[in-house]
Amino acid sequence: MNRFVCSLLAVLLVFGMLAGCSPGAATQQPAEPAKTEQPQQATLKVWDILVNPTEDEVVRQLIAEFEAAHPGVKVERETMTFDQMKSRAKLGLSAADGPDVAQINQGYSDMGALVAADLLVDLTPYANQYGWTAKFSPGIVARNSFTPDGESLGEGNLYGVPITAELVGVFYNKEHFEKAGVSIPKTFGEFEASLEKIKSAGIVPINYGSLDGFVHIHVFAEIQNLNIDRAYLDDFIYGRNNVSFSIPANVEAAAKMQEWVKKGYFTPDFAGIGYDDSLAAFRSGEGAMMITGSWVSGDIIAQAPGKFGFFLMPPLEEGGKRMSTGGTSTAFAIRKGAPNEELAAQYIDWMVSDRAAQLWAEKGIVPVGKVEVQNADPLFVDLLKAWAYLNENDLIGHYLDWATPTFYDTLVASFAELMAQKITPEEFVQKVEADYAAYLKSRNQ
Amino acid sequence: MNHSSFNRSAYLYLLPALAIYGIFVLFPIVQTVFYSLTDWNGLTSPTFLGLQNYLELFQDSVFINALLNNLAFIFFYSVLAIALGMLFAVLLTGAPLRGMAFYRAGLFFPQVMASVVIGMVWRWIYHPQYGALNQSLRAVGLGAWARPWLGDFDWALIAVGIVGAWAQYGFCMVLFLAGIQNISSVLYDAARMDGAGIFQQFWYITLPGLRNQLLVALISTLIAAIRIFDLVFVTTRGGPGYATLVAGMYLYRNAFVINRAGYAAAIAVLLTILILVISYFILRLQRTQDEESFA
Repeated sequence: MNRFVCSLLAVLLVFGMLAGCSPGAATQQPAEPAKTEQPQQATLKVWDILVNPTEDEVVRQLIAEFEAAHPGVKVERETMTFDQMKSRAKLGLSAADGPDVAQINQGYSDMGALVAADLLVDLTPYANQYGWTAKFSPGIVARNSFTPDGESLGEGNLYGVPITAELVGVFYNKEHFEKAGVSIPKTFGEFEASLEKIKSAGIVPINYGSLDGFVHIHVFAEIQNLNIDRAYLDDFIYGRNNVSFSIPANVEAAAKMQEWVKKGYFTPDFAGIGYDDSLAAFRSGEGAMMITGSWVSGDIIAQAPGKFGFFLMPPLEEGGKRMSTGGTSTAFAIRKGAPNEELAAQYIDWMVSDRAAQLWAEKGIVPVGKVEVQNADPLFVDLLKAWAYLNENDLIGHYLDWATPTFYDTLVASFAELMAQKITPEEFVQKVEADYAAYLKSRNQ
Repeated sequence: MNHSSFNRSAYLYLLPALAIYGIFVLFPIVQTVFYSLTDWNGLTSPTFLGLQNYLELFQDSVFINALLNNLAFIFFYSVLAIALGMLFAVLLTGAPLRGMAFYRAGLFFPQVMASVVIGMVWRWIYHPQYGALNQSLRAVGLGAWARPWLGDFDWALIAVGIVGAWAQYGFCMVLFLAGIQNISSVLYDAARMDGAGIFQQFWYITLPGLRNQLLVALISTLIAAIRIFDLVFVTTRGGPGYATLVAGMYLYRNAFVINRAGYAAAIAVLLTILILVISYFILRLQRTQDEESFA
C-alpha cells in the first residue's frame, strides 16, 4: 500500500511538471505611474540578445558612453539568447516591471503578437524626430512595421529599430579559389561552372551542414532570388495579393538544390553536421564556399584574417540585379507603459548612432547605417560594399520563414526530405504551399 | 494503518506543504486544463473552444507521428535501458573483482550528467566526419556503415534512442544493484547445490527477486520516454523532417514558438492522461502480483 502511495505521488509530480510547461496567466497590470518626471534619476531596463562576446563588448562600451552622457541614468541590461528571448519576451513585456527596451524578433509570431496585444510603443514619431528612417531603405522600414492591430506586416507604424545588418551571400576561401583556378563568378552560369571546377580539383565546393535545419532556407533563397522580383517576395512575405509558393521559380530552385546534392557539390553527409561544426570546418579551411550570413564574419576574420572573401550570388545575366536574403538584427522595441519612454527612445538612438556604427564596423560587424572604415579586412570590405549596394537599391530580400508562423518548421522539415531525395521538387513546393495557403485562408477569414 | 490512533490535528502539519503543492502543482494543472479548452496565443485573453483543440489533435498527422515516435522511444528508454541496467547489475554483483567501486561509479556516470551535456557529447560522437562512431567504423573497415546518424531519416530515431538508453540505464542499474543485495545468498547457495547454472540462477532467483525494482524502473523510464524533450531538442530538434519529433517537442514549439498556447496545453493534458493510464496499469499489475504472492 505504501509503495502504491509513493508511486502515485511520483506520478502526480510528473503531472505537475508537465502542467508547468504551460505559461502562467499573463495578466496585464497597469504600469506604475512614473515617480515624478525626473529622467535624471532613472533606471533603464534593457533586454537584448547581443550575447556573442564581440557584440557584448560593443554594447558595453556604448552603454558606458550613454550613461556618461546622461548623468543619473543607470542602464540595467539583461542578455539572453535568441531562443530565450523568444520564450521570455511575451511574459516580460506584459509585466508591469518588464524591460523598457527589448530586442524583438520581427514577424508575426513575435513582434506581430506583441503589437496585437498592444504591448509595444509606436516608434514612428521618434523615427521622424531622430531621423532613423533616413538610414534604412524602404524595405527595412517595412519589415519593422505593422498595422496597429498586428494583423499586417510591412505597413503601418514602425515598432522596432534594428542596429546591425545581415546579408546572406557566398563566403569563399581565396586559397581554394586560386588552387582550382576559379575567380569570382559574374553570372550564375559561371558560378555553377566554378562548382564543377572546384570539385574536380578535389575540394568540396560548398561547405554544408544541415543538422540544424535553417541553412537549407538560405541556399534555396539564393537560387530562388534569381528568378523572382521584389514585388512577389514582398507580397509573399507580407501575405498580400494571394500569391502562391507554387510557382515555376520555386520548383526550379528546389530542383537545382537536388541537382547539386547529386553532383556532390555539398559536404558529404551534410545532414548529420551541425551549423557551428560546419562553420568551424569552413574557417579552418574546409570547402571552397559557404552560403551563409554576414553574422559569421567577425569570427572568420578573427581566426583567418585575409583568407576569405564575400560576394552576392551572381545574377543570371551579367550586370543584372542581385537580390539577396538579408535584413537586420532583431529590432529594439519599447514596451508600452515603460516609465521612461523618452529615455528609451534616446537609448535606441544611441544604438543606431554614427558612433555605434563605427564601433560595430571596427569589430567586423556590418551596421545598418553607412560607415567608412580604414584598414579593414578585405572580407569585411566586401560585406560593407554588398550591404551598401543592397540597401541603396532596395534589394534586401527576406528570410522565407517569416511568411507564416509555422513556416520555419514546414520549410525545415520539407527541405530535409528534398535534400535526402525523398520527395521531388514539385512535391516539395506543394508541401510548402499547403502551409502557406492554409495560413492565407486563416488570415482572410 | 492503525485507525484508533488517528489524529486529526496531523492534517495541520500537512497544510504548509499542501499550500505549496497547491500553488505550484495543482493550480497550474487546473489552469492548463482550462487553457486546453481555449484558443489562446499566450498574450491576449483566451477564447473558449470546448473540445476543439482535442479534436484537431487527433487529426493532426504531425502530432500522431510525434506520439508514435514517443512509443518508439519507450523501447530505448525502458526496454533497452532496463536490459542494460540488469546486465551491468548482475555483472557487478557476480564474482568480486578488484576496483569494483570504480566500475560501479563509471557505469553510473552517464546518469549524473545533465541531459544537455549528454546531447552535446553524442552530437560529437555521431558527427559524420570526425565523430568517434564513424571514425571507428572506418578504422575497422566498416566505412560503408558510416552515415550521418542524426541527419539520416532511417537512423536518426535509433541514434537518439541509443543516447536515451545510455542516459537512463544507470538509474535502472542502481535500482537493481540495491535489489540484488537484498536477495538472500542462501537462495543462490541452495540453487548451486541443486546444480543450477548462472542463467538458471538469474532466471529463477535474481529476476523474481527484482520484481518490485523492475516495476519502479519500468514506470519511471516509461514516463521519461513519454516526456522526452531535452535530448531531442539538443541533438536533432525533431529532424530530419519529423523523424525524431516527439510530443514534448511539438508542445514546446506550439507554446513558445508559434503562439498556440491553448493547443499546447491540450497536448500537455493528453500526455498527462497517457502517463496516468500507463502508470495505473503498471501499479495494478504490481498489486495483483503482491496479492498472488501473499495468497
